[in-house]
Amino acid sequence: MISYKNIHKAFDIPVLTGVDLTVETGEMFALFGPSGTGKSVLMKTTLSLVVPDLGDVEVDGLSVYEGPSSNLEKIRRKIGYVFQHAALFDSLNVYENVSMGLPEDEISRLTTAELSRRVWETLEIVNLEPREILSKLPSELSGGMKKRVGIARAIVGRPEILLWDEPTTGLDPINTAAVERLIKRLSTELEVTSLLVTHDVEGGLQMCDRVAMLSGGTLRFVGTPQEFKDSPDTVVRAFVDRAAAIAALDMAVV
Amino acid sequence: MIRPVEGWFAKVGRSYRVTLEHAGALGMLSWDTLVSIATLKVRLKDILTQLHIMGVQSLPIVFVTATLAGIVTSQQGGYQLISSSPQYILGTLVVQSVVLELAPLLTAIVLVGRIGARITAELGTMVVSEQIDAFKSLGRDPISIIAAPRIIAGVLTMPLLVGFANVIGINAGMLMADFDIGLGRETFLYGARLNWHSWDLFYGFAKSVVFGLFIPVISVHMGLRTRGGAEGVGLQTTKAVMFMILSILVIDALFPPLLLQ
Ligand SMILES: Nc1ncnc2c1ncn2[C@@H]1O[C@H](COP(=O)(O)OP(=O)(O)O)[C@@H](O)[C@H]1O
Ligand SMILES: [Mg+2]
Repeated sequence: MISYKNIHKAFDIPVLTGVDLTVETGEMFALFGPSGTGKSVLMKTTLSLVVPDLGDVEVDGLSVYEGPSSNLEKIRRKIGYVFQHAALFDSLNVYENVSMGLPEDEISRLTTAELSRRVWETLEIVNLEPREILSKLPSELSGGMKKRVGIARAIVGRPEILLWDEPTTGLDPINTAAVERLIKRLSTELEVTSLLVTHDVEGGLQMCDRVAMLSGGTLRFVGTPQEFKDSPDTVVRAFVDRAAAIAALDMAVV
Repeated sequence: MIRPVEGWFAKVGRSYRVTLEHAGALGMLSWDTLVSIATLKVRLKDILTQLHIMGVQSLPIVFVTATLAGIVTSQQGGYQLISSSPQYILGTLVVQSVVLELAPLLTAIVLVGRIGARITAELGTMVVSEQIDAFKSLGRDPISIIAAPRIIAGVLTMPLLVGFANVIGINAGMLMADFDIGLGRETFLYGARLNWHSWDLFYGFAKSVVFGLFIPVISVHMGLRTRGGAEGVGLQTTKAVMFMILSILVIDALFPPLLLQ
């Protein structure tokens, strides 16, 4: 379970002005919102990648900002973070990138063969052919492949919680569908809690148990997909309509 | 016309605050680096890679700069001294200029371009592509993985490169003196020895160690503060280069009052 409590964050201007949100254990939760509203910033506060000006985050009862600093270490082990542009380490090959997803002490505990098997299996889970790409550098991979390697790195440590920052943005429809299936499968098979930031409203509504919409620094809506579709809130309506229009445009282009 | 004055004071106040912020962050970064060295979190392999990039790969350009510095000092010195002073003074002049000033300063400026800019751009790219966040999310410490090896390598490499530049610069100056005003090797070295203090060598190396610390510390610091995409990386790299060159000139100016009385 992740609880965001009264999160405030300003850079030059206020970005988050009091966000309260709880994602339940085992839940698949989608966070929508126009770009630049602070979805990534909110997600980053979970691991102290962005430190809120005010407020706290609790992960399975462990406080990130008000507890001992050892909490952060424990929380990092629970969470796999999938970054928007994969954020693979440029100078490391795919094998090294994925193995970085394991904590240092676990790497030193595993034999080379065990580590190699672990990386291999994880790449297969994300539908990549290990033999072909293990020794490739990120610059030699396509966008869709990079995203999958990024996912592999996030799940190789068998996290209980996955944070997905726009995992399908910038992918073609075929890769989008594949990554969405993967998210769904991981969430059900590995029984992880997922918090998903996405532009793909249609996909998010289909996959997720609950959704929320961030707008103007706070959560404008929290509820089930059905409630979201039926929401009388004009801001939500405008967002849904625009998302639908963009989706239609995408389909037309394809 | 009070406004411009107020505005000016506000500006001075602001740059003072910004300077203090930078200074504080630079201090923290150096401290964090020391801590990661002390706790053995820095990998030898990473240091060796950086030593190769900063040291070995800088040799050609340092060779060229030092040669030119030696030649130019020798020619200009020869031009000024020719009638009034004993010729062996040229040996003193070239060696002192190279060891005290030119080798450390020019090598530092070359490293700003070759290494400093590269580090800022590299780290800036890692920030904007979220690689630094990725390191942290995986419980790794970007300081010990990325910053520390570069800073350690800088401190180790710089004095060695300056030593190399000294040898090259002095020899180039000596050859030029022979070619230009027919000053023989023996006489040149006699002049060099006549006014030689071992302290000078230490002075030059002390400078180079400080430069070798500042270049990577500033470039890492600036790189980690990069914001906003590819454009931000370019902007931040330019800023970092200006910052490094200014710092080097200021440090260079502080050395004589501190170490030469
Ligand atoms: N490290 C940072 N420094 C300054 N401003 C930032 C930083 N990170 C995000 N911002 C700003 O915060 C706002 C929200 O960003 P973000 O969370 O990335 O939006 P999105 O909802 O599209 O994910 C944007 O205006 C962005 O420019
Ligand atoms: Mg974002």
